[in-house]
Amino acid sequence: MSLPLISLMIVIPLIGAIIAFISKTRNQARYAAIIASIIPLLITVKMYFQLDPSKMWVVESYDWIPLAGIKYAVGVDGISMPLILLANIVIPLTILFAFGETKQASKFYGLLLLEQVGVLGVFSSLDFFMFYIFWEVTLIPMYFLISIWGGPRKNYAAIKFFIYTHVASLVMLLGIFSLYFTALAKTGVPSFDIAYLIGMYSGFDPAIKDIIFFALLFGFLVKMPAVPFHTWLPDAHVEAPTAGSVVLAALLLKMGGYGLFRVMLPMLPNTTNTSMIITVIAIIAVVSIVYGAFLALAQKDLKKMVAYSSISHMGYVTLGFVSLVPLSVTGAMYQQFSHGLITCILFMSCGIIQHGAHTRIINDLGGLVKKMPKLTFLMLGGFLASLGLPGMSGFIAEFTILAGAVTTLYVYVLIAVFGGIAVTAAYHLWAIQRAMFGVFNEKLGDVHDMARYEMISMAILLLLVIYFGIKPDLVWDVMHAGANMVLAGANI
Amino acid sequence: MNYSPLIPELIVVLTGLIVVFFGLFLPLRVKKGLGCISALALIASIVYILKSGVLSTSERAGIYFYEAYAIDSLSQFFKLVFLAVSLIVVIASIKRYENNKYQDEYYGLLLFATFGMMIVASSNDLVTLFIGFELASMSTYVLAGFDKTNPKSLEAAMKYFIIGSVSSAIMLFGLSLLYGVTGTTNIEGISAYIAVNGILDAAGIAILVFLIAGFAFKMALVPFHMWAPDTYEGAPTMISAMLAAGSKKMGFVAAFKVFIVALIALRLDLQSVFFILAIITMTYGNVVAISQKSIKRMLAYSSVAQAGYIAMAFVIMTPLAMGAGMLYILSHAFMKSGAFIAVGAVTHMMWTRNKNVENADYLKNFAGLSQRAPYTALAMLIFVFALAGIPPTAGFVSKFFLFSSAIQAGYIALVVVAILNSAVSLYYYARIVKYMYVLPPAGETLKEPRAYLLAMLVAIIAIFAIGIYPAPFLDWAMNAAATIGM
Repeated sequence: MSLPLISLMIVIPLIGAIIAFISKTRNQARYAAIIASIIPLLITVKMYFQLDPSKMWVVESYDWIPLAGIKYAVGVDGISMPLILLANIVIPLTILFAFGETKQASKFYGLLLLEQVGVLGVFSSLDFFMFYIFWEVTLIPMYFLISIWGGPRKNYAAIKFFIYTHVASLVMLLGIFSLYFTALAKTGVPSFDIAYLIGMYSGFDPAIKDIIFFALLFGFLVKMPAVPFHTWLPDAHVEAPTAGSVVLAALLLKMGGYGLFRVMLPMLPNTTNTSMIITVIAIIAVVSIVYGAFLALAQKDLKKMVAYSSISHMGYVTLGFVSLVPLSVTGAMYQQFSHGLITCILFMSCGIIQHGAHTRIINDLGGLVKKMPKLTFLMLGGFLASLGLPGMSGFIAEFTILAGAVTTLYVYVLIAVFGGIAVTAAYHLWAIQRAMFGVFNEKLGDVHDMARYEMISMAILLLLVIYFGIKPDLVWDVMHAGANMVLAGANI
Repeated sequence: MNYSPLIPELIVVLTGLIVVFFGLFLPLRVKKGLGCISALALIASIVYILKSGVLSTSERAGIYFYEAYAIDSLSQFFKLVFLAVSLIVVIASIKRYENNKYQDEYYGLLLFATFGMMIVASSNDLVTLFIGFELASMSTYVLAGFDKTNPKSLEAAMKYFIIGSVSSAIMLFGLSLLYGVTGTTNIEGISAYIAVNGILDAAGIAILVFLIAGFAFKMALVPFHMWAPDTYEGAPTMISAMLAAGSKKMGFVAAFKVFIVALIALRLDLQSVFFILAIITMTYGNVVAISQKSIKRMLAYSSVAQAGYIAMAFVIMTPLAMGAGMLYILSHAFMKSGAFIAVGAVTHMMWTRNKNVENADYLKNFAGLSQRAPYTALAMLIFVFALAGIPPTAGFVSKFFLFSSAIQAGYIALVVVAILNSAVSLYYYARIVKYMYVLPPAGETLKEPRAYLLAMLVAIIAIFAIGIYPAPFLDWAMNAAATIGM
């Protein structure tokens, strides 16, 4: 009998969180946290080599609420596996990065582990009921992370984040209900199984198809977030503590993208007016890329700039998704993975600068390289990766998205290339030039470089970014098989 | 005839009599034992109902007293709600009233109120229903004024009594009209008569108006809710829990019996009336709750809003909606009684430190509660998140099924309003959480009374049981819905 690996992977951080919550000392909490977050990574590695990415690997499935056809079912495939890997890389490194947290440390680490539980649950659920539960569960730890450890406007940011994304989830829930009941009315068999319901979608009445599609799409686009539903993100990011921002940008946003691939991609070719919907989504994607980049260019606060850059980068995911070409879809998945790693470095840099220099306003900084050489080196690596330097993972992702999308969405790619890429390079380079190089601003006083655990954490991330930039096939092949599987299933 | 299904009622009423009788002789120091006896009696009744197996069948288990009293899964389901709420309230009261020399009367009245509600749940006859209704109301009128030295409590009781009596009169008038039109007081007889002979529009409308006014008073639907915030705020917190979580559900079970069983012929009128009532109630309750300073008052308005959600079941009128409504009633009983008990624990802790604290239930006293009283704060956190419908709690599962049933029946507008309301409610629930977990403590550490913690633990276990494994509870609720012809 084989071990229930996926359930173990979800339960272990939960147990770790409980231990962290009840632990008396900070040391106990942080070591429990780091151990409980690394075990899932080991499990993931073990699963990675057993996986056949071209089909769903269902590990466990039990009846939960038989009356409504709800199951406890978890599984992994080429779409979810890389994101599970990402989550299990990012959380331990975030905990390592935040090893020096002193304020209510046991709660802090416990909440980070709960976040891991929620995210892993979302990525491995095969049942919409479970999917939704985990989707909502991710909100609560983040609400606390922002509202307890956040910046000056934390209360506003926390409640805005909570209510905005909660409403979006409820709209998504309406979509799930419609999907469920329309299928129920057709067959009489109650089931919340994601694959089954999506398979039923193509046979639905045209009148209900669009409602379902847009309700679900709204839920995912708000999470990503795509312009014009992005306004919760800058507030949440700016006020969140560094570890909170990292988890938010690297993992919670990816849930939106995951929803696009898992749920929307097989449905898209079967909608009533596919070409119109593709146009709408492509416009949203391109506007996110270009507008997000310009917003980032205009920011005075370094962290806010990074937050807007996330919107711009997530726009590529939407663009790759909507192009419906295997190359771009894989590239979009790769962008999710790559952005998850890169954005950690960026937010961590912001956190260290805030901590060392007590400000993040770009114009008040300057010449920090003299006081923070190690940080400057790692941060420069992160910024270059973020602007798409060849040899780093971001380049591969964005290159393949654009190269594939050219065949179907020529005009939009053109706009994205000319409107987005130059500006992206500009705001990254301009910001790092003003903040880190040039003359040192003496008003900043005594500035220390980063702590060792922070450096280790960021260095590992940077090495991963470079590794996946040179040799993407470890993740790429899995994603490619997953993308082919979805696209073939949707008859594209 | 087999009378054993009536054992839970007998246990409750006999214990009530015993408690009152022995309370006359016992000295104060052992009177606490009466509370323990009451709790044991309630547990015994709950266990009996669970073991009897009536809940897992939609067949009627027995009918007694010339078809006036029926035992079926609907009645047992609601009895479970009432008994559980009373149990939670009694456990917490053992600490709250340990030094009160009238505590025997308190437990007695509480048991009689529970008995009254149980009668309503089982009644198959308008007169039986009214008697149960009045027994429960009379007992709770007295209980609302139990803190005799507190003017707020007296005002609460007075207001509740006057408005309650008027509502009872209106309801009785409605019932008498129903009797006059159909010539019978038997609920199924009425249904059968109307099915054969029909009912005049004018008579039907008049009956509906009076009955809705009467029942909606207990359910606290807007605009019949005026008493609720004042009474819940002023009454002893335990009794507020009882009123919001238990007595309110009596209104619902009476409505299920009279509207769904007897007056199903008028379903179109019912649906349109409840459509408006549900939307007004949930919106008004949630919006007004935002600006409250007193948590008891905030919970009162939130309870009004929740009644609005439950009333959606009367609009949708499908089997799933009825089952989901009942599941919601069960979940709400635990969430709301737990929340009131948590507030009661905080006010109790305040009062033990300083007798003269005014407005002990105000939100500002909850600042930093997570450090002053960590267990109470954690419990309150679970209750408010459950009330807001966050998974994996009972509140989420109930909302999930209720909203999904509305989608199934095509009431998209109703669901959209309900969902927007959920979002609004999140604001004030999150504010309580913010006060407890984010703001700095408003005083030193408090000693948390164990009886309160036990009561909250019972509620928490139930909330997570329903939230994580809802299958059996949903099954019971669907059976209960099946017994009223759904």
